[in-house]
Amino acid sequence: MSDLEAYRARAATWLESMVPAFGKAARKGLSEADDLALARRYQAAKFEAGYAGINWPVEYGGQGLGHLEKVTFDSEEMKHGFPNAYFGISLGMPVPILMQFGEDKAFVKERVLKALRGEEIWCQLFSEPAGGSDLAGLRTKAEPDGNGWKINGQKVWTSWAQYSDYGVIVVRTDPNVPKHKGLTYFWVDMKAPGVTVRPIRLAGGDSHVNEVFFDDVKVDDDHRMSPVGGGFAVAMATLMIERYVATDSGGFGPHLDLFVALAWDINLNGKPAIDDGRIRQQIARNYAMRNGLNSITARAMAMMQAGMVPGPEGSLNKLVSVRSRQKLSELAIDLQGNDGFAFDDHASQKEDWTSSWINAPTGRIAGGADEMLLNTIAEKILGLPQDHRPDKGVPFNQIPA
Amino acid sequence: MSILYDEGQQAIATESRRVLEARMNKDELLPLLEMTGRYHEGFWNTAKEQGWTALALPEEYGGLALGLVELGLIAHQAGRTLSGAPFLTSGFGCAKAIELYGSDEQKTRWLPALASGEIVGVVAFASGSDPLPAYPAIRFADGRISGRAAGVTGGLVADIAVVYAMGSLGPVLVVAELSDVERSAIGGFDNSRCYAHLGFTDIPAQPLAIDGAAREAALHILSLQAVITAHEQTGGAEAMMEIARDYALTRRAFGQVIGAFQSVKHRIAELYGLVELARANCIHAASREGKDDFIIAAAAARLSATEAYDTAARDCIQIHGGIGVTWEIGLHLHMRRARSLAIEQGNGLFWEDILVDRLTGEAA
Repeated sequence: MSDLEAYRARAATWLESMVPAFGKAARKGLSEADDLALARRYQAAKFEAGYAGINWPVEYGGQGLGHLEKVTFDSEEMKHGFPNAYFGISLGMPVPILMQFGEDKAFVKERVLKALRGEEIWCQLFSEPAGGSDLAGLRTKAEPDGNGWKINGQKVWTSWAQYSDYGVIVVRTDPNVPKHKGLTYFWVDMKAPGVTVRPIRLAGGDSHVNEVFFDDVKVDDDHRMSPVGGGFAVAMATLMIERYVATDSGGFGPHLDLFVALAWDINLNGKPAIDDGRIRQQIARNYAMRNGLNSITARAMAMMQAGMVPGPEGSLNKLVSVRSRQKLSELAIDLQGNDGFAFDDHASQKEDWTSSWINAPTGRIAGGADEMLLNTIAEKILGLPQDHRPDKGVPFNQIPA
Repeated sequence: MSILYDEGQQAIATESRRVLEARMNKDELLPLLEMTGRYHEGFWNTAKEQGWTALALPEEYGGLALGLVELGLIAHQAGRTLSGAPFLTSGFGCAKAIELYGSDEQKTRWLPALASGEIVGVVAFASGSDPLPAYPAIRFADGRISGRAAGVTGGLVADIAVVYAMGSLGPVLVVAELSDVERSAIGGFDNSRCYAHLGFTDIPAQPLAIDGAAREAALHILSLQAVITAHEQTGGAEAMMEIARDYALTRRAFGQVIGAFQSVKHRIAELYGLVELARANCIHAASREGKDDFIIAAAAARLSATEAYDTAARDCIQIHGGIGVTWEIGLHLHMRRARSLAIEQGNGLFWEDILVDRLTGEAA
């Protein structure tokens, strides 16, 4: 057994032992407040067992291991439905970027430890009503105020802001220069006066994202994590941190086995649907697609193990898997006929086709819309030109609204 | 587990690409479309001279003892430049059937000549639209076969064929010399494939696999060939994607290169996705030879490669506009090849059923 496989086996054993206390069954029927409390205990247990901050520096409380161990652990953890989503953003981007760009090391270390133990949560304040994909078009502004800054504006789609203690934020500090050049990066105290968080209910009924309003929120200059006007580079660094993450060729929806089981159960024209050519074709096509993504992932892992840099094809995963999941979920509902009307808004997206379907559009938009992913493939991998951008080189305050 | 190509394998890819790019060009392939019974001799001579015919055969019979991974890499390059003859894949299938199911005497008789390329081998499994029928149309009795094998790839020029026939107790796999066979050429859309109907009348044939074992043997051979063909399709799809990309970077309309329009650039990015999924499935399938899930992996490779090549050929021509549909530019060579390869070794419908039968345990 390779070292990595031994690591995987140890992680799997430990995760199994956590199932009674933190698994799907333990979470069933909990209010969100109780679930969050359970999640904090789970995160603390991970920290104690050495599974928090797996690939982070030891000096900050991490384990000092590599991406491979991190991805391996995450792939195993994904199987059990543990309450880890509340910390996904926090530990995924804002806290690593704080380690990288935070100036006050003692402060950083204290925050990192509390985040690793699940005691504090960080959010990422990037998107705005006027700009999601067009990040650099953001309008929230910070103006000099005494020795520090004063922030005014609005962010949106901020995951878990309602539970967050801190956030990282990109704001406009100079509207007289082209849009990318007038941005600055700060961290903010989410409990500071003038910060208002308002949850947004999504189509599936849940409310993990929020609007966040800033009204004369004062921050000291030592909250600044980039040079003045240098915020865009730190924002890009934030988005690039998790280049190799655990993936799911099922698009974080149900496994194909569940579709096959459904097709056995349901009759079409007096025969099991599994005998129907239309159904068989979709099973075969989805299998081929998922098998291709799995092979890409397996190869990327093997390359990392060999000390090589994986190819750019890993960027296909979310694009291909989530939209296929969306269509397969539609077919699964279709297959059930009038039995397909029912909906349990607490059902798991990984087990229930209706829940998978209703939440699929979020998956295709969050973390890079399909269209932006296609642009990235076209421009960065294939060398095709950028779109025509009328705002290019134009001072932000002269861009036609 | 998927594999990473080692240095030797990378060298095979690089060298075969260099050779084929130097020797193949569309101006020699276009006239072949209008002739039956002709293939690109330069391609076939190259395959023999480079040892590609011997690549995946055992050393004791003149082979190089490499496998699906290596032959797949060459097929990928052949797909990029449009292979000028189908015999690399057809001969490989024929030779593998003899190697895996034949007697020592049969191996000694045929394998060295197939490895050197001295003779051309093909397989004839299909009956009409059925790639692997439950009741083959050709009959086998008393050491002879009779009947008609429809649409045999390479059939016009082949020296021997492995034939799926009906024996007294069920299907059998036999090998037959074709010198006395009646061949009727199929005037088709991709004529260098040398398609022919083969008419057998009391032609001597030697059994390779009989009774219950024949169908499984034929499916295994078809799967091996399918993996090679999938590599060739992926190579063709990759070439179409690159040609589309290069054209989109130079052709201008409405004051900019057309690659700056999202309708064009996203279409090419989608092709990239299809090509990479097909490539990943091919690499995986080639590494699964001999494993329980080999046929599933082969089917997945075949399905994704067919989708990639058809789509890439279609979209590449569309992105070119009017020039794309001219005879001279030759993009239709790929469009034709995408369809002929989609059918050879079993069409998509066949592989979908094979795959789902296995996923659901129905084939067991």
